[in-house]
Amino acid sequence: MTVALDRSYDIATRKRIDLFPYFLLVPALLITMVIVAWPLVETVRLSFTDASLKPEENFVGLANYEKMFSRRFPEVIGRTFYWMALSVSFKMLVGLLGAVLLNAAVPGRALFRVLVMPPWIVPIAVGVFIWGWMYNGQFGMISGLMQRMHMIGTPLEFLAYRDTAFMATIITDVWIGTPMVTVYLLAAMQGISKEMQEAAWVDGAGRFYRFRRITLPLIMPAMATMALLSAIWTFNSFDIIWILTEGGPRGSTTTMIIDTYKTAISRFKYGEGAARAVMIVCFLSAFTGFYFFLLSRLAKRGEA
Amino acid sequence: MNIKSVLLGGVFAATVIGSAAAEDKRIHMIVCGDNNGAGIPVQAAHIEEWEAANAGFNVDVEFVPWGQCQEKSTTLASAGKPPAIAYIGSRTLKQLAQNDLIISVDMTEEEKATYAAPILGTITAGGQQWGLPRAFSTKALYWNKDLFAAAGLDPETPPKNWDELLEFATVIKEKTDADGYGLAAASFDNTMHQFLNYMYANGGELINADGEIVFNSPNNVETMEFYGKLAEVSQPGPVAYDRAKLNPLFAEGKIAMFINGPWGRGLIGDTNFGLAPVPAGPKGANSTLLITDSLAVFKGSGVEEQALSLGKWLTNPENQMAFEVKEGFTPLRDMPEVAGIIENDPTWGTFINAIPSGGPEPFVTDYIGLQDVVVEAIQGVVLGEVSAEEAVEEAAERLEEYK
Repeated sequence: MTVALDRSYDIATRKRIDLFPYFLLVPALLITMVIVAWPLVETVRLSFTDASLKPEENFVGLANYEKMFSRRFPEVIGRTFYWMALSVSFKMLVGLLGAVLLNAAVPGRALFRVLVMPPWIVPIAVGVFIWGWMYNGQFGMISGLMQRMHMIGTPLEFLAYRDTAFMATIITDVWIGTPMVTVYLLAAMQGISKEMQEAAWVDGAGRFYRFRRITLPLIMPAMATMALLSAIWTFNSFDIIWILTEGGPRGSTTTMIIDTYKTAISRFKYGEGAARAVMIVCFLSAFTGFYFFLLSRLAKRGEA
Repeated sequence: MNIKSVLLGGVFAATVIGSAAAEDKRIHMIVCGDNNGAGIPVQAAHIEEWEAANAGFNVDVEFVPWGQCQEKSTTLASAGKPPAIAYIGSRTLKQLAQNDLIISVDMTEEEKATYAAPILGTITAGGQQWGLPRAFSTKALYWNKDLFAAAGLDPETPPKNWDELLEFATVIKEKTDADGYGLAAASFDNTMHQFLNYMYANGGELINADGEIVFNSPNNVETMEFYGKLAEVSQPGPVAYDRAKLNPLFAEGKIAMFINGPWGRGLIGDTNFGLAPVPAGPKGANSTLLITDSLAVFKGSGVEEQALSLGKWLTNPENQMAFEVKEGFTPLRDMPEVAGIIENDPTWGTFINAIPSGGPEPFVTDYIGLQDVVVEAIQGVVLGEVSAEEAVEEAAERLEEYK
């Protein structure tokens, strides 16, 4: 009797599982499988093969990874992190300064807010080509101005030397990435209640003190989120470096994504290129994992 | 469904199949660039003639912009859907052949004899020819006569060897506002091309006829050393310049000399210039780098035989010359028309006369890999980071992987 009852309960429970919502999810699931999961699995599979132009491919185990790490790849990883760290730091700093200025009650504020956007609105390739000309020593504006101000005696080709080329690519990346940070932080700042600022002002707190003790702590979650997102986008920044230097001079601007492109696309070494792409996926997954961890921590703090 | 409708359906299906079978077989041909070239109508006429002689085959020409052209053919081939015949930089033929994507073009002795030996070198690997040369270029030294005169040099006497080149460039750098020479050293293909001109002019080689890397030679160390010296009399920061960026500098009178192909004549405005063979190094003679682009016949299209026949028809001496004359390309073969071309425009002389002394683009299995290594060596010397000897030795070692 009990057994029979249990069974009927089981059946009733099963019947209650409504498959319709799952059915609605099928299209999204299929699209995700086709455009995300399948290429990802395929990339990992390719990284264990010697795939190249030839029609057949063979399983080579970890050979691509061994080869990669026995050459210059560790140096490329280090350079990528250094490039990313500098670029993100500058973007955060300039973006924060920009947000503070745009948040200030100055006449024509709306106009300034619009003027911040061009680096973001101009197509990246176009902007970078213009920067390429500005870095030119013979015709470029920067070298010309520096000569006029007697900072340098002869034309300086910014893209011709390791250090200057490295910094040039970072500056261009900062130029393109800053508006996003500015707008994001500006929004965060505008979310701070005016009463709090006024109360502090009444208590005699100066402008800088209010910024340090009220504004900065309150926008910190937004800054942390933005820094991480910016790190993820910057890590894979390809077009800026490729257009300006193609990874040169002598590999000084070759980051992981540039190295991957050169190997997989320029040289048709799909297997070796896939191994590099897998490394990028690993690093980006770590960043993303940390991002979600941070989000959940911030959410908990918000609830508390 | 009764028996009648089944029969009717069967008849209809048979008609469709029959008409499909009667349709022409498609020969997919990929041509780089656009269809506005002056030679394209000539090529189209030749294709029509071939189609008339080969009933049942229809040539479908697809024009692909330069930037994606080679990649498209190569990717289609590696994905198992190759074009029947495609325009390809000859430098990649060995890589395509090694990967079993193209077939040998099987030139007869008679056909081979129509080309100068160094041109044949740009398409030959393992004793077989892998492409039918379609476009061709040589290089020469451009010099600015006005700047020579301003520096007190004879404007009609270009440098014949490296010593003179350095001497003239130094004088110009000292006595005028211009730099003596325009050196390309960016991370780009023509940085290596420029170097190869000088390498051949000093009797050097990168890879020999047996496919061995012979880059580490006293000749090449000497060429690298010369590059280091050349950088001192060139425009500041050569690593920021590829050849295309030197054109405006030459046109503006900011550099007195540089190396370029025949197309450069139309890109430098009204500059008062002269053309001379690439100056000879201490261990060699005037030379040039020879670059050809070819028509390659891909494997697996099902119409290989016809594609090869089409390629040979388009590139036979008569048709190829008619195409070159219209396009304004450097003539591949020494034929009676060549004298006419030089007579019409004497500036062709330097480019055409250099052919027999030229050397081919290196024929390797990973051209981009090779190019990166050579460019890095050049940049190391130009930036003064490594000695010429170290640069050549390290490059030669790394090049083994790409031969």
